[in-house]
Amino acid sequence: MREVNISEKISKVAYIPIAIIAAILMVIPVYILFMTSFAVPSDILKPHPDFFITRFTLDHWRSVLASGNLWPPFRKSFVVATITTIIAIVMAAPAAYVIARMPSKIKYPVVLSLFFTRMFPDVGIALPIAVQFIRLNLMDTYLGLVMAHLIVNLPFAAWILVGTFETIPKDLEEAALVDGTSKLTALSKIIMPIALPGIAVTAIFVWLNSWNEFTYALYLTISDRTLPLQIYYYVQRGGIFDSATYAAILTIPVMLVTFFLQKYMKSGYLAGAVKG
Amino acid sequence: MSYVNFVKKYKLEIAMILPLLLYILGFTIYPIIQTITLSFQDQYTKAFTLANYREIIGKTEFKQAFFNTIALTFISLTLEMTVGLVIALILRRNFRGKGLLRSLMLVPMGVPTLVSGVAMTYIFGLYGYFNALLQKLHIIEMPVDWASGGFKTLLMVSVADMWKVTPMVILLLSAGLESIPDEVYEASNIDGATAWQTFKYVTLPLLKPSITMALILRAIDAFRIFELVLVLAGRATPVISTFAYDEYRNYANVHTSAAASTILLLIIAVFIVSYLKIAGTKEER
Repeated sequence: MREVNISEKISKVAYIPIAIIAAILMVIPVYILFMTSFAVPSDILKPHPDFFITRFTLDHWRSVLASGNLWPPFRKSFVVATITTIIAIVMAAPAAYVIARMPSKIKYPVVLSLFFTRMFPDVGIALPIAVQFIRLNLMDTYLGLVMAHLIVNLPFAAWILVGTFETIPKDLEEAALVDGTSKLTALSKIIMPIALPGIAVTAIFVWLNSWNEFTYALYLTISDRTLPLQIYYYVQRGGIFDSATYAAILTIPVMLVTFFLQKYMKSGYLAGAVKG
Repeated sequence: MSYVNFVKKYKLEIAMILPLLLYILGFTIYPIIQTITLSFQDQYTKAFTLANYREIIGKTEFKQAFFNTIALTFISLTLEMTVGLVIALILRRNFRGKGLLRSLMLVPMGVPTLVSGVAMTYIFGLYGYFNALLQKLHIIEMPVDWASGGFKTLLMVSVADMWKVTPMVILLLSAGLESIPDEVYEASNIDGATAWQTFKYVTLPLLKPSITMALILRAIDAFRIFELVLVLAGRATPVISTFAYDEYRNYANVHTSAAASTILLLIIAVFIVSYLKIAGTKEER
């Protein structure tokens, strides 16, 4: 009987405090990260670091922005993410359309295989790729990294886009075909415009995946680092303020986009997309 | 329909899907076959051998890595599923400020995994916020070195992993909860069931398929854990992927690295097959 009473109480009253505490705990690490990037070193580098800082400084941001160590990795990450996105969409969108229109007996296994190609361990794929790229002189190149990022993002993009194309009724293109339009025109004039919002959301997710990507970049880089590798470099060197500032720079676009695209964050999109 | 006719009729469709298929074949399937092949090759003669497996299994680091990977998966999954389920149940209710709380709880999704690791180093550092808090509460006297290895490091990495992926678990379980019809709850309410009874006899059994799926998907991700461990635990607490990376980068041994990756691949394959089995039986029902 006692257990029952407690459960009643929890379900009637305690859930709001629990929710508030959980929400606070979810935000604290992000707060600490950004706060550290604006903190005066003597407030942080002590046995009991301040949680609420009263003094702010732009020194870390200024020194990172002026150091010349930010822009080359930033440019590499930005350019690689952008090219990866363009190629991924151009290759995945037509394929996804075809898959979406397959008879469901074939479609189900195809979609499932796409899903599971993303489940393979990155270290297992990156290893032979790195060995190959050393031979082909593709280490440290933008092209090499784009090719590697496509490994993760092509099945990801195709998988999401199959869902997008499935929502477009088949009658639309059939009507167009009856009117004598060619398949290709029906596709480009009727289907693609309707699918455009879905394609745009997919493109953004692909861009973020590539922007954040760490494992392949680590395997395929000797000296020309990406932004995530630059963060790792400062973490290894123990530069708290440098790593906090670089991490903040990497995080800002991701947070903004994730916040605005929250309604697209359906469970299906993300299952297996977030790696440990 | 003959083969030629099939190609003729669907030539546009084939042209549309072929680049994707070829890329996956060339850049995913082929590398995996290469990794498996490398793992059975002698370092010098390239002849077939089991020596690479013998070598890594003989290493203490690999045994540790293997144990750590399984322990980490077990601890993180327990934490994530428990917390995720509680929050998903709370978010099923309607209350003021729910939208804001939900947004705040999804914040970790907007943080790259690497960055979540960086933030956790500030919290779990020797002079980090967590030690400072424990000292203020007089739970500990001296600061704890969370990254020094052993169970406490596993716990730290699990908490970091939990922080990053609980939002995803919440979304997966919320989707499952949404699919439970309201009538079921009304019925249990009319029958006078308490909140605990409703949870135990109504919600939990109906949610079981979602929980199983979430568990398997999360287990696959947890087995592949890489950058969090690299940033938080360094080499003191290896997992299978960081061991594979270490063999390649620091010992320049492609073959032992491939052997470790193949073992990881095998574990993940077991989970994929069990996922397919469960998904398959669900469909037959």
